[in-house]
Amino acid sequence: MAGIVTEPWSVAENGNASMTAKGSSRELRLGRTAHNMSSSSLRKKSDLRVIQKVPYKGLKDFLSNLQEVILGTKLAILFPAIPAAIICTYCGVSQPWIFGLSLLGLTPLAERVSFLTEQLAFYTGPTLGGLLNATCGNATELIIAILALTNNKVAVVKYSLLGSILSNLLLVLGTSLFCGGIANIRREQRFDRKQADVNFFLLLMGFLCHLLPLLVGYLANGKTSAAVLSDMQLNISRGFSIVMLISYIAYLVFQLWTHRQLFDAQDQEDEYDDDVEEETAVISFWSGFFWLVGMTLVIALLSEYVVATIEEASDKWNLSVSFISIILLPIVGNAAEHAGAVIFAFKNKLDISLGVALGSATQIGLFVVPLTIIVAWILGINMDLNFGLLETGCLAVSIIITAFTLQDGSSHYMKGLVLLLCYFIIAICFFVDKLPQKQNAIHLGHQAMNKVVTATGGGVFSS
Amino acid sequence: MGSIVEPWAAIAENGNANVTAKGSSRELRHGRTAHNMSSSSLRKKSDLRLVQKVPCKTLKNILSNLQEVILGTKLTLLFLAIPLAILANSYNYGRPLIFGLSLIGLTPLAERVSFLTEQLAFYTGRTVGGLLNATCGNATELIIAILALANNKVAVVKYSLLGSILSNLLLVLGTSLFFGGIANIRREQRFDRKQADVNFFLLLMGLLCHLLPLLLKYAATGEVSTSMINKMSLTLSRTSSIVMLIAYIAYLIFQLWTHRQLFEAQQDDDDAYDDEVSVEETPVIGFWSGFAWLVGMTIVIALLSEYVVDTIEDASDSWGLSVSFISIILLPIVGNAAEHAGAIIFAFKNKLDISLGVALGSATQISLFVVPLSVIVAWILGIKMDLNFNILETSSLALAIIITAFTLQDGTSHYMKGLVLLLCYVIIAACFFVDQIPQPNDLDVGLQPMNNLGEVFSA
Repeated sequence: MAGIVTEPWSVAENGNASMTAKGSSRELRLGRTAHNMSSSSLRKKSDLRVIQKVPYKGLKDFLSNLQEVILGTKLAILFPAIPAAIICTYCGVSQPWIFGLSLLGLTPLAERVSFLTEQLAFYTGPTLGGLLNATCGNATELIIAILALTNNKVAVVKYSLLGSILSNLLLVLGTSLFCGGIANIRREQRFDRKQADVNFFLLLMGFLCHLLPLLVGYLANGKTSAAVLSDMQLNISRGFSIVMLISYIAYLVFQLWTHRQLFDAQDQEDEYDDDVEEETAVISFWSGFFWLVGMTLVIALLSEYVVATIEEASDKWNLSVSFISIILLPIVGNAAEHAGAVIFAFKNKLDISLGVALGSATQIGLFVVPLTIIVAWILGINMDLNFGLLETGCLAVSIIITAFTLQDGSSHYMKGLVLLLCYFIIAICFFVDKLPQKQNAIHLGHQAMNKVVTATGGGVFSS
Repeated sequence: MGSIVEPWAAIAENGNANVTAKGSSRELRHGRTAHNMSSSSLRKKSDLRLVQKVPCKTLKNILSNLQEVILGTKLTLLFLAIPLAILANSYNYGRPLIFGLSLIGLTPLAERVSFLTEQLAFYTGRTVGGLLNATCGNATELIIAILALANNKVAVVKYSLLGSILSNLLLVLGTSLFFGGIANIRREQRFDRKQADVNFFLLLMGLLCHLLPLLLKYAATGEVSTSMINKMSLTLSRTSSIVMLIAYIAYLIFQLWTHRQLFEAQQDDDDAYDDEVSVEETPVIGFWSGFAWLVGMTIVIALLSEYVVDTIEDASDSWGLSVSFISIILLPIVGNAAEHAGAIIFAFKNKLDISLGVALGSATQISLFVVPLSVIVAWILGIKMDLNFNILETSSLALAIIITAFTLQDGTSHYMKGLVLLLCYVIIAACFFVDQIPQPNDLDVGLQPMNNLGEVFSA
């Protein structure tokens, strides 16, 4: 993968970078993706005048660096939540508070990580930059998943990852298409469906990998014991995870190397408004690197708090853990991308919105999920790909309805509204879902079938 | 709904109204929809010569009015079933007989209601006319559903509504495409798929609303108590119903106001229409007489539906058919008969946009309007109806939507598509025909089949 890419590194392009869909050649020269594009809309131009007055050069550099990184976003206002959360933990403040503050603190961190990745990509070259974006784009979800695993909270892992996919497919896409449709109500909105199609068939493959372990769970009868079945589920899940990772690597090769032109959007105009950054990096490589490492550590810390306090928050706020994991956590984790996607839809640049939403969903579905399973395997934790009947059903319908909605390459507000309402219905479903949480990973989703035999079966049809 | 600026357009257009897809602007100027278009093919031009001979003016008006309304359709012959049904009920003849007669009597009534709605739309203006059509188009299904609810026969409600959707998606569409394809076997048949697409993703959203309570019940059985499951399912269903109604209102806004141009047909309509579409643009009855007739016919529909709902079990026992079969297959065929015939006729003439507008529009209306409305009415009445239509029915619905969506996605048609849809309907009908599972009267969660699933897989 560390390639044989022969295109020259060209920084001397016209002032405004042309914005095209995720993975286009010009972005890759800058190591930028639609992901970063959308987050860039939340950035503020740094006002360096105050810093210039500082006499010492070293201090000046340091302060300007600080200003770029910490204050360079409209979400900077949420940064105080981080020290607040840390203080609360040490003072023993009630856990739901810690949970809420950690959630708030994660939002700007996720955005800053994507900014830093973009800055680093200026130095590392197009391919590596693309890879970096692809991997770090979902850093928050990955870290939460791994931390929850180490605490053996497999249900939280599964729910939060599923919720991320659902949120990207229905919520982010729905609000983008809806707001974009209302804003552009007199114009026809078109997008390139080839890119969307690639994402959809990968998502469908991921869905197959979730469906088969689920169905295996229903093979219980008198002859096959539950333990044998759960072993089966575990083994095929691990095997599938390897296959999914192989397909993800192939997707990266496809997107960043061999079929890059497929991801080039149709002609985009060159005039951009002030949301677009210049092409030069604003911080140096090593400072960027250190900031990235530092922020990742802070994300890990806050995620640790989130994972530790999720049950108490769920009890206190009277919401089920599944609701918090599937609905609340991804909304927080995706907030920056979400806002960016909506803004680009307003400007009728649907390819970028779609690139963000679908690309994220594919990454989580085909990269974060199997990676988590493999990490669980290494840690000796039994996590499989069976996410439960209800969750898998939601995933299936979301993929199908989104694929169907986007298949004709045009959009209007009605499409966005329907996707949004579907997300709302799924959210209500998990809201009323008062099923007790199963902490024992092996029998997740499996107990239901054992008990059905003894259920008081009335008629087959409920009235 | 609105500040629509287009003037109430000339009734002085060319003699034949241009027939375009459901919701197009020209129809809306007359408040007409594809639904009415298709029903209009069953009308007869009133022969007013006989009435002209009557000397007295008011008597002449009454008689011509009567002739327009009662005799203005080829289905008039079936009107006789109505008094027969009432007689049979009063004298307590065999209940299956009452059932059969009521069914037959409902057919012309449904058609006349759509005729009257169309006439009224001439007076009310195009947006209200469009709304009126959208609401009254499925009056029969709505009335049957509410009456069955009032009698606490929730299973009948669910089956009949599901059967309506299946019938529209597979039967009406299948026969239209099939016959249209045979008749136009040398021509390419095209239609505008944008309109079909809007209907399909709304239907998929409806499917999601049915699927979630079903999956919730399966996932929850054994974990929590049955009453808790029912409570969760009910809450979810009622909230989903409100969401579905919001989506339906948005769909109406989309179709009748902001994106009306999307629903205009591509085809250039030739002006040469044959005698089937003999609708002038002037209404043939006055507003108040139309209104009075509409109210009257609705009352008669309610009466016959009452008979149908009452006698359905006895008919089922007597004829050896399950209640599910009668509700899913027979009732919708009757309720849809007029639209069905119209859709086929327009497919013959290679005007597929209208056939599609009828079939898909009806399916969307029932799925996103009548079903959630029934759930809300049940809520008001204190009856526990949820959106869980059980696994067999929900799977049939899912596959019907998927196969129809896939079939129509390329914008062309030939007889093979129609045949496949038709055969799918026959398969589903056969499934419910052999289905002899007894009806419950209570609210137990029905999960018995899962007990046997293990044996199924191990066999």
